[in-house]
Amino acid sequence: MTQKLRITVISKDRDFSSQIGLWLQGKGLQSILLHELGSVLGIIYVDPPDVVIADLRHGDSETQNLIRDLRGDSYFSMLPVIGIFEENAEETFDWSGCPLDDFIAYPFNHAEFFSRINLSLQRIGRVLDNNPLTKLPGNTSIQNAIEKALGRDLAVCYIDINNFKPYNDTYGFSHGDEVLRMVARIMANSVREAGSGGFCGHIGGDDFVFIVNVEKAESVCQMIIDHFRIIVSDLFGEEEKTRGFYRAKDRLGNEQEIPLLGIAIAVVPMNTPKMTHFGKVAEVSAEMKKYAKKSGESCYVVDRRRT
Amino acid sequence: MDNKRAEIRSIIKDTKSLPTLPGVIAKLTALAENNKASVNEMARVVSSDQVLSAKVLRLVNSPFYGFSGRVSTISNALILLGVNVVKSLALSSSIFEMMEKNTVGLWEHSLGAGVAANIIAKKLNLPEIEEISTAALLHDIGKVIIKIKLESEYDHLIALIKEKDMSMLEAEKNLLDADHAEIGEWLARSWFLPEKLIEPIAFHHNVEKASTQLAKTAVVHLADVLVKASGFGFSGDDYVPLIQAAAWKKLGLNEAMLENIVAELEEKLVDCKNFSLEIQSEGDTKT
Repeated sequence: MTQKLRITVISKDRDFSSQIGLWLQGKGLQSILLHELGSVLGIIYVDPPDVVIADLRHGDSETQNLIRDLRGDSYFSMLPVIGIFEENAEETFDWSGCPLDDFIAYPFNHAEFFSRINLSLQRIGRVLDNNPLTKLPGNTSIQNAIEKALGRDLAVCYIDINNFKPYNDTYGFSHGDEVLRMVARIMANSVREAGSGGFCGHIGGDDFVFIVNVEKAESVCQMIIDHFRIIVSDLFGEEEKTRGFYRAKDRLGNEQEIPLLGIAIAVVPMNTPKMTHFGKVAEVSAEMKKYAKKSGESCYVVDRRRT
Repeated sequence: MDNKRAEIRSIIKDTKSLPTLPGVIAKLTALAENNKASVNEMARVVSSDQVLSAKVLRLVNSPFYGFSGRVSTISNALILLGVNVVKSLALSSSIFEMMEKNTVGLWEHSLGAGVAANIIAKKLNLPEIEEISTAALLHDIGKVIIKIKLESEYDHLIALIKEKDMSMLEAEKNLLDADHAEIGEWLARSWFLPEKLIEPIAFHHNVEKASTQLAKTAVVHLADVLVKASGFGFSGDDYVPLIQAAAWKKLGLNEAMLENIVAELEEKLVDCKNFSLEIQSEGDTKT
């Protein structure tokens, strides 16, 4: 049995949304009508719908903020959000400030209304380059973000997980994937807490990247390392934790002592004269990463050379 | 009678949320307004409340995030979900509309059990202290389901306990063909909670039935008994069960250790009482 598609309608106007609710039900869609803006995010987090329709007919900035917050969490970047506008209001709408996927003009054309919903559902099947595992932006977006950061007061930070490969080999892919998702969440939450304007991406495997204000970079790195240490403790048994390693066979069948997982971060400030192109960032980060990996312990290394 | 069990299970399947005390939400709202609220401060408030804790754990263990059944502590859940998600979750929580004596009593009992379990685990040098306290905080979550989702049966239960001088556990078995421990287990499974938390919830009245989580279950049982004996909070009846032999044995308890634990518990329960009064007065002013 296929599940009914679930559509969340956000509007302070109860009559309006119950009208939409009736239409949706008429088409065999399940509607969730939300009127209290304060509780919208919590309800969506607990029980994510397939599509969100937001009433923006009155240029409501509160609803726009809400959509921005929703998008701020990478896990919800795939959720289609459709805005409802008064006719012609879309011409003056701040599209960059409020990340919608589509809009519908009010008063509605009944057929168009449903086509838009269908279209937005089809579209998520072929979205961008987001990593399917972590839902974070992939390499095209990362390169764009780094190019935009060149010369500004930002730091591009590369994360790498220490001893990830043997962990994956020993405990299996599904546990390895879990670790990658954990790092993605820890990184995204730490960057978000440092204020707006940050960026997070997943290069692939155990390589991640984030961009934050250069002054906040070290505190974000420290938070990621601390939080990862706490989370990792859930992945290993008591004995392994006190010993600091686990035993596993390497590819040749020899038993080895493998240290627990850790995080190495290479921090590359963008506000120096040498940072003129993407290739330079990659070069410096590779160098920093080498230093960060050297000790085998969780740590971050900052490139402080101006030239 | 099989129907009753099926009915309860189906109610649980549709339960995605449960109400919280208004004072807890008021405290979290105040924290949320302060933009610098840290993971630790939020964790402290969330872990005072069994319903909110269960909801946070449900969310982080839901298939959507892909950590299925892995996360068993509130601080880990907060790190993975992020402060923003937990704030929104709290703000969307429904609240108990009436601050009845029994509602506050059960809330206090759960808080006290969490604190007691923490003391016991520390004194006995057990691993995974935070998991144990969380399990103790959640041990009576089945009672919340009975009170909220089975309202008419709940009134019957209260009457039975009073008139026939039954324990809550007996009355539940009589009336529901299931008890709050089992109902709590069903909810915990339906909410994707980890096994580390499920067993102690399921067997806190029947320690010897625990298998992989025997030590945690024994601590939660002991915490439950000690808090009942202390007179702090109210879990539904005035009956204080005996400490089960399986718990004595697993934890290697003796009288001296128990005295030591009880002494510290009494001290900590004074703080709990103050915190509870604070929560109750915040709830009053905000409603």
